[in-house]
Amino acid sequence: MMGELVVKASKLKKEYSSVSQRIVALKEIDIEIKKSEFVAIMGPSGAGKTTFLNLVGCLDGLTSGKLNILGCDPTGLNEDKLSRIRVEKIGFVFEDFFLISSLNALENVQLPLIFSRNYKNNNRPRDLLKRVGLSHRLTHFPNELSGGELQRVAVARALANNPEVLLADEPTGNLDSKNAQELFTLFRDLNREKGLTIVVATHNVKLGYSADRVIHLSDGKIEKDERLVGENGR
Amino acid sequence: MKFFILAYKNLKRRKLRSFLTIGGVAVAVAVLVSLLGFNAGYQDALTSDVDKMGYQVVVTAKGCPYEAATMILNGEAGLKFIDEDIYKQITSDPDIDKITPLLAQLAYDPEKMEGKGGFTNYLGIEESYMPLKPNVEIIKGEWFSGNDVNEAILGYEAAESEQKSVGDKISIPGKDITLTIVGVFNRTGSQEDGTVFLPLKTTQRIFDTEGKLTGIGIKLKQIEKISEFEDRLYPIASIQVISMSQVKGTILNLVNSAKVLIMSVAFIAIFVAILGVINTILMSVSERTQEIGIMKAIGASKLDIFKLIWIETLIVCTLGGIFGSIIAIIGGNLVELLVRKAMPYAPSGKLLLITPDLLAYSFLGVIIVGIISGLLPALKAASMRPIEVIRSGE
Repeated sequence: MMGELVVKASKLKKEYSSVSQRIVALKEIDIEIKKSEFVAIMGPSGAGKTTFLNLVGCLDGLTSGKLNILGCDPTGLNEDKLSRIRVEKIGFVFEDFFLISSLNALENVQLPLIFSRNYKNNNRPRDLLKRVGLSHRLTHFPNELSGGELQRVAVARALANNPEVLLADEPTGNLDSKNAQELFTLFRDLNREKGLTIVVATHNVKLGYSADRVIHLSDGKIEKDERLVGENGR
Repeated sequence: MKFFILAYKNLKRRKLRSFLTIGGVAVAVAVLVSLLGFNAGYQDALTSDVDKMGYQVVVTAKGCPYEAATMILNGEAGLKFIDEDIYKQITSDPDIDKITPLLAQLAYDPEKMEGKGGFTNYLGIEESYMPLKPNVEIIKGEWFSGNDVNEAILGYEAAESEQKSVGDKISIPGKDITLTIVGVFNRTGSQEDGTVFLPLKTTQRIFDTEGKLTGIGIKLKQIEKISEFEDRLYPIASIQVISMSQVKGTILNLVNSAKVLIMSVAFIAIFVAILGVINTILMSVSERTQEIGIMKAIGASKLDIFKLIWIETLIVCTLGGIFGSIIAIIGGNLVELLVRKAMPYAPSGKLLLITPDLLAYSFLGVIIVGIISGLLPALKAASMRPIEVIRSGE
């Protein structure tokens, strides 16, 4: 299955225009990401990392070019079809965690199951929180959890519907180095255990280089595409 | 955990605001339920009062017919008198089925109401009174032993409040007369429960009104013939004929015009409540822009978000409906008390009739209100684009 493509982008372009200016965030880039790859997208602010993840995550539409995610072309799909893809096939982890403050850890993880009408899988949220080391924090609310714990709840939530790809946008931006390292170790383990495809946008060079492949973006273009397989034990 | 719980948890997060919004809906529902209940109750109570009177037609001295009718309904006197001869004159009318002479009198009793003082109603009657009152019967003792004897029959409440029974003596304040109680009537639920009944002749003697009556109660063979009957009595200058159904209609008309006014107030209350609900939910949607964006980012569809916000509105309205109904039921007695004081004539039955039907309709109404007022906030929330929220969170 190693050859199966999760993301295939060709001449992918994304432009944001406002009254005063036009910003080209991605300048016709070509990227292919295979199933079970652990990819880090690196680059300075404004390089296009988040834009790329938003396009791959069906959160935003492209300006031109071609994009194929898990065999689907998201261009032209209506919002409900896109949300269907997001809930069933894609897991998101954000820099700001974005947990729902009125729900406890367990309920936050249950949320995607509600949206996918998957009411049968009752034990999965509990198992996932156990997997991320939070079985003792199930009924804690976000304001009662530390940054590292919040992000692990967010990872458990992203995995709730057993997605085919996990997209993480600066997941360690609000974490200290110890928690950041632990989160990347968790990503690495999930990638190895289940063959989960992971795409992480990060500033952190050390963490970025713990992935299998590092794509350097700069000013909307791919500067370098390094495959580190072997170096990281794969 | 499903949508309902999710919506509930969100309302719980802002307890005070949710509570106040629910309170607004509750007050509107309580006002509406009370008013509709009052409408039904008043009509029922008045109809029952009029029906219990037994007479379809009352002949009284000329004067304001409604004042006269109201006084008769209240069991009061103070009217002009008519000659007893008129009674004898019309008693042979072919359309009359049953007829009875009445002489109502009032006496002030300083001892009444635990020393506060109050009026006691006395009604002079003859045996012909009973056939006109099918719901009245003697539950203790018996009918007067003669036409002009110092005997009294007490209405149920009169006996109860005076703590008197058959064989006891009562006196009429200001008159040097002692009456022996020979009987007690059953409870009829009408004003006459508080009346002291005397033989007609005795009443005329005690109150110095020999040969006088205050009214004649009549039941016609066919009520449709009332206008012909009235026409025949027209030449007798000193009397007027009042049909109780006309009286009922007029009193209801008066009540109705007041009702229209109160109803408009109720509808304004509901309108304000709707705006309150829309405002609260809209505000909570605006505050949760990010949260709703996150939910959409992790896969919630438009419909999911719409449902979520809509259910919140429905919870607010349903709880408001429940609390409003409870307030209406509990507060109904208080409203009844106020209404009784404010109304010129309040029937003796329950004025506020809150039926399961009425509650069900009000509830249905409030749900519809919820459905409508939830539309705008739910649509607004559902149309939010997740990407904008994610970007603003960056």
